[in-house]
Amino acid sequence: MQTEIKEFIQREILKDSGRDIASDEALISSGLIDSFSLVDIALFVEESYGVRIDDAELSTETFDTLAELAALVEQRR
Amino acid sequence: MGLTQILVFLLIAIAVGLLLKQERRSWAIFLVSLLSVYLFQPLVPLRDFGFWFPTASILLTAGTWLVVRGEDQKIEPEDIIAGGLSVLIIILVSMNRFVPLEIAWLPGSVPPLLSVLVFLSIFTVLGWVVSVRYEIRRLGTWIYLFGLIGIFVVIKTQPLMLWLSELLREMIGQSTALASTLDFSWLGFSYISFRLLHTLRDRHSGRLPAVSLRDFMTYVLFFPALVAGPIDRIERFVQDLQTSEALDGEQIVAAGRRILLGLVKKFALADGLALLALSPTTAPALRSAGWAWVLLYGYSFQLFFDFSGYTDIAIGMGILTGVTLPENFDQPYLKSNMTTFWNSWHMTLARWFRSYFFNPLTRALRSGLLRNSPGLIVLIGQFSTMLLIGLWHGITWNFALWGLWHGVGLFIHNRWVNYLRARSGPGLITSLPEAATRGLGTLVTFHFTALGWVWFALSDFEMSVNVFRTLFGMTG
Repeated sequence: MQTEIKEFIQREILKDSGRDIASDEALISSGLIDSFSLVDIALFVEESYGVRIDDAELSTETFDTLAELAALVEQRR
Repeated sequence: MGLTQILVFLLIAIAVGLLLKQERRSWAIFLVSLLSVYLFQPLVPLRDFGFWFPTASILLTAGTWLVVRGEDQKIEPEDIIAGGLSVLIIILVSMNRFVPLEIAWLPGSVPPLLSVLVFLSIFTVLGWVVSVRYEIRRLGTWIYLFGLIGIFVVIKTQPLMLWLSELLREMIGQSTALASTLDFSWLGFSYISFRLLHTLRDRHSGRLPAVSLRDFMTYVLFFPALVAGPIDRIERFVQDLQTSEALDGEQIVAAGRRILLGLVKKFALADGLALLALSPTTAPALRSAGWAWVLLYGYSFQLFFDFSGYTDIAIGMGILTGVTLPENFDQPYLKSNMTTFWNSWHMTLARWFRSYFFNPLTRALRSGLLRNSPGLIVLIGQFSTMLLIGLWHGITWNFALWGLWHGVGLFIHNRWVNYLRARSGPGLITSLPEAATRGLGTLVTFHFTALGWVWFALSDFEMSVNVFRTLFGMTG
């Protein structure tokens, strides 16, 4: 799952499939992903895995890395 | 909040943290917070409103709790005790009129006890009726939501405020000619109302945890964060309250350092810089571009030290009472673009707007009508969000322009990143060493932000335009 989310971010948000993202790399606090793309990630995750991520959860307090996001999704599935 | 008040509440926080544990500590923080709502309230010219504003803050909070309770959350004996203590404090404060002036705890006048009692009775009966049935409570959450926004708009819009002030003055027999914006210095309302709106929206989305009246009121009226935030989230705050352990030496040192840092920032740096800062008094006298830049830099740092100093003091006091308040600033002026600037300036307010406005709006646009025009969605989302963040500070043209200024900055940054990502191969900017692009980014971001403060620091459009002219040597 983590790989799928990573590929989505590379393809749709960073538009650069060569840009690797480490699973513990800060995504939000580093500014790599802005708040607009964050909503896109939420929509993608919700559609792909059938979980709900609340609008109030799209922040560094809930997740900031790929690993944390994957764990959150796993926990709700 | 003056230095004396800060020191008094600092001593209280230390005493509470050192002497009390668990339940007793929670009750103490609750009572101190209720009292602080009255003690921090500045004097208002409108008769008795130095009493009515804090009372309204307390009652709006208790009233919101009554309606946001979940379907199966009953009113427990502990909630009745918390409600009773709130009423007791309100009555105690209204006894102020029987105390000699030298030892009175409120600087202003208070209404007759009878009217306080009548008012409290009406509120209690109404609150009770509304909260008995869950369906009515749900309706109540919407009434509170629109009511709070309504009050917010009225007291943040000068013409509406003056109109209401004249109306109230006529009712209580005060001179309407003296109606002024000072009549509505309702302490902490911007923060209190946004905390309440957060709980109301979380009730609607089913995220709000079951919280006792005591903990709910402590969250909304928490004395370290009452005057200038931060705006915490209730589920996080309440967890801290419930797990608070005895203070250890390490925490006391951390809190002490944080508070000291805050005091230096606020009372030495910010107050010192105030002499050299752009303001409605210093702006009209500006003649040279050099001085204009000095005052602009002065204001930029004054504002930062003032606000982040307050936050440091709040966080330090929070630690003493066992609550780790969220950070509000993270070296914002060192950020290399507008997106990371807004991840580090007034962070809890920005997060509030993301959670309850920007994200739902973007989500709706993204899965609705505009799904294929991401650029337009970014434009609408960022402009409207930043406009609202601007207006939160006050509903004026200048705050609106300040918000839009940042909307433009964020939009340009978003499109710029998109452009860089879409094009392949190294360009002029991307081929520079990273430290250089970062440094350049910080310089540009800081100056964009600093120029934006011209709208924020002054209340007049024409005065702001004149300052811009002076800054860029376009005078005469």
